[in-house]
Amino acid sequence: MNKGEIVLRSYILGAGFLLVTWWGIALLMELPIVPAPDKVFMKLSHVFLPVIAIHGAYSLWRIAAGLALAILVGYPLGVVMGYFQRTDRYLAPLVYLTYPIPKIALLPILMLLAGLGELSKVIMIFLIIVFQVVIAVRDGIRTIPEETYYPLYSLGASFMQVFRDIILPASLPKFITAVRVAMATAVSVLFFTETFGTQYGMGYFIMDAWLRVNYLEMYAGIVVLSLIGLLLFGVIDLIEHYACRWQHR
Amino acid sequence: MIEVEHLSVSYKAGRKTNIALHDVSLTVPKGTVCAVIGPSGCGKSTLLKVVAGLIFQYEGRAQIDGEPINPRTMKIGFMPQNYGLLPWKNVADNIRLGCRIKHALTADTDREMTALCARLGIQGLEHRYPQELSGGQRQRVGLARAFLLHPDILLMDEPFSALDAITREEMQAVFLDLWQASGITTMLVTHYVEEALYLGQQIVRMSAQPGSVAEILDNPLSGSSEKRSSPEFFAMGQQLRAKIKAMGVQA
Repeated sequence: MNKGEIVLRSYILGAGFLLVTWWGIALLMELPIVPAPDKVFMKLSHVFLPVIAIHGAYSLWRIAAGLALAILVGYPLGVVMGYFQRTDRYLAPLVYLTYPIPKIALLPILMLLAGLGELSKVIMIFLIIVFQVVIAVRDGIRTIPEETYYPLYSLGASFMQVFRDIILPASLPKFITAVRVAMATAVSVLFFTETFGTQYGMGYFIMDAWLRVNYLEMYAGIVVLSLIGLLLFGVIDLIEHYACRWQHR
Repeated sequence: MIEVEHLSVSYKAGRKTNIALHDVSLTVPKGTVCAVIGPSGCGKSTLLKVVAGLIFQYEGRAQIDGEPINPRTMKIGFMPQNYGLLPWKNVADNIRLGCRIKHALTADTDREMTALCARLGIQGLEHRYPQELSGGQRQRVGLARAFLLHPDILLMDEPFSALDAITREEMQAVFLDLWQASGITTMLVTHYVEEALYLGQQIVRMSAQPGSVAEILDNPLSGSSEKRSSPEFFAMGQQLRAKIKAMGVQA
């Protein structure tokens, strides 16, 4: 059995365990608010393509856009702060002062400034992820021992060469971990923002089903949201597997 | 040729200024090996870093082939104590690193690398990562990188210290074999008396506090394993060891 098969089997086992637990609770409670999984999956198969898929696509696009923006801004900032210690002295206070602000508290302001549409939601996700990326990349670069640079310095390497051969590969594992940790928060925050000012997105769909007292659809939405999370984590794991190959030896 | 004249290096630790090197002068003629030996804290690694272009705040003069040291225009091969292999690059990429940074990768490079790997006994390991190698194998990869570059000068900081005694002797012979074929001007730092005697045509003995040159001696016993087992080699080793020990007591 190869590695891929082992991973697949453990995922199937995990999903099976969750399903059995869910089923047990549903059977015990016998309430419409906790429907059995078979009914939910039946419903899902009927409504996924005609109804849910478009909501899922919207949610995925918002996460992808927020994440891309956070990496585009956060990674270079983290590199600058980690490699040029003098800039860190001035930038660190700024980051530390703004990092603890609960970003969700800014949502009303964001919606006033950036509108109720896509932009405010993408910026929200960006704000949640960017700080973790900055800190992780900076700390990842700081832990590189000075001697690691010596062979390149004595070869007269340019900054771009040092970046390519040392900074990028050395900071990659911590960077990927930061994205992974931030992703879970981003999904929950996304859910919240999608309950305002939109008719699309998994957050809207789930809340709408709830208000229509359509519990089966609500659960179908929750299952899809969980699968979106699984997809995102899977992609991150895959990227890590190939980009940080040297770590797994 | 490496020329160092009246070199002094100091660095600030808090409010105090520590003198790492004081008025060091030495010359390594082209195509020779100079072994720098001395007690710990005598600044021998600092000296090497100045020549490697890693420290550029110093007083005095440090030149390679008559030019001020500049890593951008010169080809300096520097092998740190841990061999300087990058853990995220496999053996082949690690060996090619020097040539790549210097934009000297050609069609011949790979052919030469294959030959070099065969000579060093690391063929077949090209796709492994450094953490999958033994200490001796990593040392060989470090040597392959240094010699593939054909540097103007080669600098080695305690190159064989981390190895066990048997592997160390083996690696010294491997180095000598490569060096004799290329004749690269080399400066190496060591704290093993036998290593200095075996490899260095010139031995620079340094003393500590502040780091300075105590003695420069020509060594006729270097470069052959026959001389290594001769009584003269043994006698000279004892002599040198006694001098270094005496310095340690003084300090």
